[in-house]
Amino acid sequence: MKALDLLDAASAELLGFDWLVNAVAPISPYGTRLFSELVPFRPGNEAAAESRARAIAQIAEQLHPDRVSAARSLLEHLPDIAGVVAGVSMGAMLDDPGFFELRLFCETVERVDASLPASGFGQRVASEATQAVSAALAPGRNEAAGFYLSDAFDADLAAARAAYAQAQAEVDAARGREQERVARQLGREEVAGDEFIVMRSEVLGRLPAGVRVVREAVTYLLCALEYGESSRGALERREAAFGRMSALEERVRLQLSCVVREHAAGLGVAARAIGELDVSLAAVRFSQSHHCTAPAVIAEAALTFERARFLPLEAELRVAGRRYVPIDLDLRGAGVLTGPNMGGKSIALRTCGFLALCAAFGLPVPAAQARVGLFDQIAWLGTGLRERSGGLLSSFAREVTSLKEILTRFAPRLLILVDEFARTTTPHEGKALVVALTQRLRQRNACALIATHLQGVAAAAGVAHFAVRGLKAIGTPPAARDLKDALDALAASMDYTIAVVGGDDPPHADAIALAELLGLDPEFVKAAYRALSQ
Amino acid sequence: MRVGLRLLELARERGARAIFVVGTGKNVGKTTALLAMYEAACNSGLRVGLASIGPKPRLRLHPNTIFVTARPLLPSSPSAEILKISELESSSGSLLYARTAYGGLYDLAGPSSASGLRVAVEEIAARSDIVLIDGAIDRLATLASANGAIVVSCGAAAAKTESEAVGDVATLTARLRVPAFDPLAGALELEGALTATMAADFIAAGEERQIVVGDSTQIVMNGRSLAEALARLRIRCRRTLDVIATTVCAVAPERSFDPGPFLAAVAGATKLPSFDVFAGREAA
Repeated sequence: MKALDLLDAASAELLGFDWLVNAVAPISPYGTRLFSELVPFRPGNEAAAESRARAIAQIAEQLHPDRVSAARSLLEHLPDIAGVVAGVSMGAMLDDPGFFELRLFCETVERVDASLPASGFGQRVASEATQAVSAALAPGRNEAAGFYLSDAFDADLAAARAAYAQAQAEVDAARGREQERVARQLGREEVAGDEFIVMRSEVLGRLPAGVRVVREAVTYLLCALEYGESSRGALERREAAFGRMSALEERVRLQLSCVVREHAAGLGVAARAIGELDVSLAAVRFSQSHHCTAPAVIAEAALTFERARFLPLEAELRVAGRRYVPIDLDLRGAGVLTGPNMGGKSIALRTCGFLALCAAFGLPVPAAQARVGLFDQIAWLGTGLRERSGGLLSSFAREVTSLKEILTRFAPRLLILVDEFARTTTPHEGKALVVALTQRLRQRNACALIATHLQGVAAAAGVAHFAVRGLKAIGTPPAARDLKDALDALAASMDYTIAVVGGDDPPHADAIALAELLGLDPEFVKAAYRALSQ
Repeated sequence: MRVGLRLLELARERGARAIFVVGTGKNVGKTTALLAMYEAACNSGLRVGLASIGPKPRLRLHPNTIFVTARPLLPSSPSAEILKISELESSSGSLLYARTAYGGLYDLAGPSSASGLRVAVEEIAARSDIVLIDGAIDRLATLASANGAIVVSCGAAAAKTESEAVGDVATLTARLRVPAFDPLAGALELEGALTATMAADFIAAGEERQIVVGDSTQIVMNGRSLAEALARLRIRCRRTLDVIATTVCAVAPERSFDPGPFLAAVAGATKLPSFDVFAGREAA
């Protein structure tokens, strides 16, 4: 799955693109190849994006997750026949491991088909080609579900192999007699291997016939047992039998390779179909695991959703045993988002980006309901971008250069998510810059959500003002001053709802209350409140 | 005497289902010892599995032998039953498990990692009565500790003098036979390896507690340092190994030792049943 120029690397990181890629990654080599070429739908392709998302969501609804898992576990062990099929197409003769893989592929394809009845995936993957190859290789299926070039493939093979086995037995017997004779003459139980040591003290007179001295030393002789006449004769007969058996085995391989070659194109089609199925199953699994719905994909710079979730954070919170609070938003064009610290402004921005990403790849979105536009670019500006240490630019200057780069990119339909832009300069000038940015984005018909603590931006720029409701009540700080307890108290007190407010409504920061919840000492907090009231 | 059968009996008396053959160096008779056991096992009617750490020269295998090899090394004839194609890789290509239908010449190959070898041995063990593994001790320790026996081979090819060869095999077997730690006694458990420098520090500090490492491959010392450390410190392992015998190979292209005294010296230094596979002898 390639983002291409939909996202820059920093925005991709913040919006959980890699997380999404992992979550919808297929499992077979065929799916992986197709998946690596998957690119986002661009504006103008709304119908196609929506159609794919709807198809996936529909299958996710109809198909039990256990069936999806079962099909995926079959796909996981599917061998990659691409090399084998390519080779045979170019005239190569296949080897036994190649037949093993083809047989396994054809059988698995049938099992995958059988595991997904009436699933809405369209045509079956198994085809005339897979059935023909499966039938041709069936005699090679052994009890271990492997492959053996069995006698059943060729009427002459059994006799040739029996002759070879007989010849080998003759070699073993002849050689065994020679070894036994030498062992007996040396007074030993056995002579093992082709080379052996004879201690001079063992030799009474001459060495047994057929024993050749390889090396002489004072106390021992390193010897080799030469092949006697009967062994040599047996060896010659074995080599001849081996040659006949070998030729017949190659004949069978040639015949089987011809069958595979005849169906190579059909196997290629099946391989592509199984890859598409794998990619779809991965998306279905994603949709089922995260309770996604198909979005309406619209030809507007807008994002409207109910009970949407930023899945990477939801997963993180689940591991930590915490609850995720979904959000609603109706963003058409540009809007300003204000709210308290830790009220979820940044996550709201990321949720927007994540849903837009899902829609761009024709995936169901993690929301109860959504209308999502397709974009040429999704960009992030402001906090959260990985800080680079050193260099000539301050963090403000880096923001400005990033903004300049975003504004100069060719993106007729832009989604831009701005998190506290210009927070590091003076509030007065910072606000002026944020207002100017918001106006520019409005003029460009961009879909933009601009999170800020600055007051009056929405009214000044003439855009919608959204606000996180914030702390419902200031909770009592936990006695133990434990961070986890403080976060629990904060989560219990925070209302993450995003509401449309009047353009001039002052933003709530609840910063001092939060500082108290997070354990700053009471004297400090009192001093802050005194300063606030002056 | 039938050395292969004797080695096999020693292993099976201990309940071992896998026998690892390791050596003090190259060309010290590991393959000869392995083949002697293989012949004995086949003659006893056992279903035998063979594995190797790295590629081995072609071996003549009997029918019904399970083996692991690299895909490009599988001969076309005699055709073998392909049991499974592994995801493991070797230096010669991807690995597969096969069973000989007829006797013939086959190459062995194996994964280069310890975890890969564990998988390969488990695959083979599931289909055979005994598995014989030609390998390197640093990759085998965690594997062999389960239900494996170890045979240590030494020979003239790996040492300039007989006394050096005897010293090497004594050191290796001493390291492999470090006893299990006593959980009731005081212990200093090391996370990683025990080096010669660390051992010297422990000796200087008069350390009397058990010094515990995971397995004997984590004792990274040789020769005199190892002998000194084993004599003066209570070095122990969490996972012990079962070394059952040594084999000797007194001849090498560049030198040879007197087989009888060499075998006796190895047996004396290791206090293990010791065999000369080439001479068909066991040390007295």
